[in-house]
Amino acid sequence: MFRHMTREIRFLAKDRGALFWLLLAFTLSVIAVSFGVTEVREQRETIAALIKEDASDRANALKGQEEWGSAAYYAFHFTYAPPSDFAFAAMGQRDSSPWKHRIRMLALEGQIHEADTRNANFGLVGRFDFAFLIASVAPLLLILLLYDLRAAERTSRRHDLLVATAGYSLAIWFPRAFVRIAALTILLLLPLWSAALIEGTSLTITLQASGIAMAALLIWWIIVEWVNRIDASPSILLTSLIGLWLALAIIVPAISKAVIETNNPVPDGGEILLLQRETVNGAWDLPKDATMKPFIAQHPELRDYAKIDGPWAWKWYYAFQQVGDQKVAPLAQQYRKARLERDRQADLAAFLSPTSFAERAFEKLAGTDTRAMIVYEDAVRGFHSELRAFYYPLMFPEAQYNPALLNNLPNYVPPS
Amino acid sequence: MAIPLEARSLSLLRAGNSVLDDVSFTINAGEIFALLGGNGAGKSSTLLTFLGFLEPSNGDVLVNGSSVRNDIAAARSAIAYLPESASLYGHMTAYENLSYFLDLAGKPANREDIDAALDKVALAEEARTRRLQSYSKGMRQKTAIALALLRETPILLLDEPTSGLDPVAIDEFHDLVKALANNGQTILMVTHDVYGACQIADRVGLLRGGKLVGSFSAENGERIDTETVHAAFAERETA
Repeated sequence: MFRHMTREIRFLAKDRGALFWLLLAFTLSVIAVSFGVTEVREQRETIAALIKEDASDRANALKGQEEWGSAAYYAFHFTYAPPSDFAFAAMGQRDSSPWKHRIRMLALEGQIHEADTRNANFGLVGRFDFAFLIASVAPLLLILLLYDLRAAERTSRRHDLLVATAGYSLAIWFPRAFVRIAALTILLLLPLWSAALIEGTSLTITLQASGIAMAALLIWWIIVEWVNRIDASPSILLTSLIGLWLALAIIVPAISKAVIETNNPVPDGGEILLLQRETVNGAWDLPKDATMKPFIAQHPELRDYAKIDGPWAWKWYYAFQQVGDQKVAPLAQQYRKARLERDRQADLAAFLSPTSFAERAFEKLAGTDTRAMIVYEDAVRGFHSELRAFYYPLMFPEAQYNPALLNNLPNYVPPS
Repeated sequence: MAIPLEARSLSLLRAGNSVLDDVSFTINAGEIFALLGGNGAGKSSTLLTFLGFLEPSNGDVLVNGSSVRNDIAAARSAIAYLPESASLYGHMTAYENLSYFLDLAGKPANREDIDAALDKVALAEEARTRRLQSYSKGMRQKTAIALALLRETPILLLDEPTSGLDPVAIDEFHDLVKALANNGQTILMVTHDVYGACQIADRVGLLRGGKLVGSFSAENGERIDTETVHAAFAERETA
């Protein structure tokens, strides 16, 4: 077999058409990886800059405060989901879901859902990252390298001479296809491996990613091989393969997405925001008991401090902020659950499309999938709960304001 | 010693049509057998059954005494095949083409061997490092013949080998084929060139409508009589 491979490597080296597609594959891979690395670096720089500003902004905001309520009101806290060391390969949901927030002690769900995505346009058109290259573009390059392997030889009336000389078909078509696919795979993966080294991606993740890329190309090889067995002209084979690519890379994922979304309606983030604002704003006009009762149901330990005597109290203000969260909790829960269910069903539907499968597998490895974004949202909720747990015991008994205690403010720890 | 090539009551159906019907012949070692016939007579199909590309619907074809269908690879390894208008790779030189095909056959050759074969087929030295896309048909045919020579197989199958060659190139080719037969190579050539077949063949078989309808042999070292074969060919073709 080694003899066959070396022969076909020499043959490939003289095939200018194939060399062009291979060079294009390498160039596209360099571009995709460079885009990813640049974007991840920008995100890291943004996070680093905001972490730095976060502490000084909060220090400024807390300067001169005299009450726990106003301190909590003016102090913002930066939360974020840092990109993983493999995120450069698959930006995934980081383009369509927010990965950083500035939150404060007010009603939380609205704060989570009012954040704009940084690149909403990418959420629509998708990003040219390595995952997209491997999942969608590489199959096209593979088709262009392999579609006329046999048919062109038939057209040139060389097929029978080749097979008769080789003795059996496998001795020529397998090594010829294998060498092209191996070259394509290596040229696509080289920039990824280089970036993984620079970004400090673990060997396990790099190997897994390489395995996914190889598996995706292997599946497309099988598809091309299956179609190439048809005794038809190169143009008919190319048209058929492009048709299959369209079906598997575009149509099947689009239909799957439509079906999954129809079967799993997800409340709009805006609905959550609106309902919460209506609840919070409406609370101003309600009797204070209407707010304090549902609040105390959640915080029975604060029952003794639930009585609001005057027309205004910070604890009442924060209580109706929390009641706003309690009011939208079922909707937020439904939103979270439906997104997870959509994600689960999309995992299953991905078995129908090698393109979706590869892209989703890359997003999972890169920690940029839906689950990773929900984990981040949960981390924000957890941190917000810690803030409440810090402020409530000070705010509700109306304890004397003591700035020294602010050193015990919880620190946001991003999900790992 | 096994008979190099044998067709036993060979019948072949393609898309429901009879292409070959009960064709039988044997070709002995060192013999040149020309299968003569008009378009669609079944000549090329006969060659393709010996190479295992077409499977007989009835009867059998044997290479060196073994049925082709039992071991196609063994049959092919014993045969060098020269297809009609041999199409080697245009983007490669003669050296590169021959190296590639010899590697494919599992019989790599060095530059000296290749030069010796190209000398035999009289391909000009200056042409050997040029891409085949700049070659005339005769030069491409010579390169393909050099490949057949270099493979040193005991059997040579030629499909319309002189089609499109000029008279001088045809004469050179005939001399080469005769020399190969004298070296013991068994040659099956299919052609519609009556004159050429009679010039070099030890025996000529006349194929029409998939049936072997006539056979002519060279007697006492004489060539097969072209007039006789031509008359039979013309009679059959117009019958």
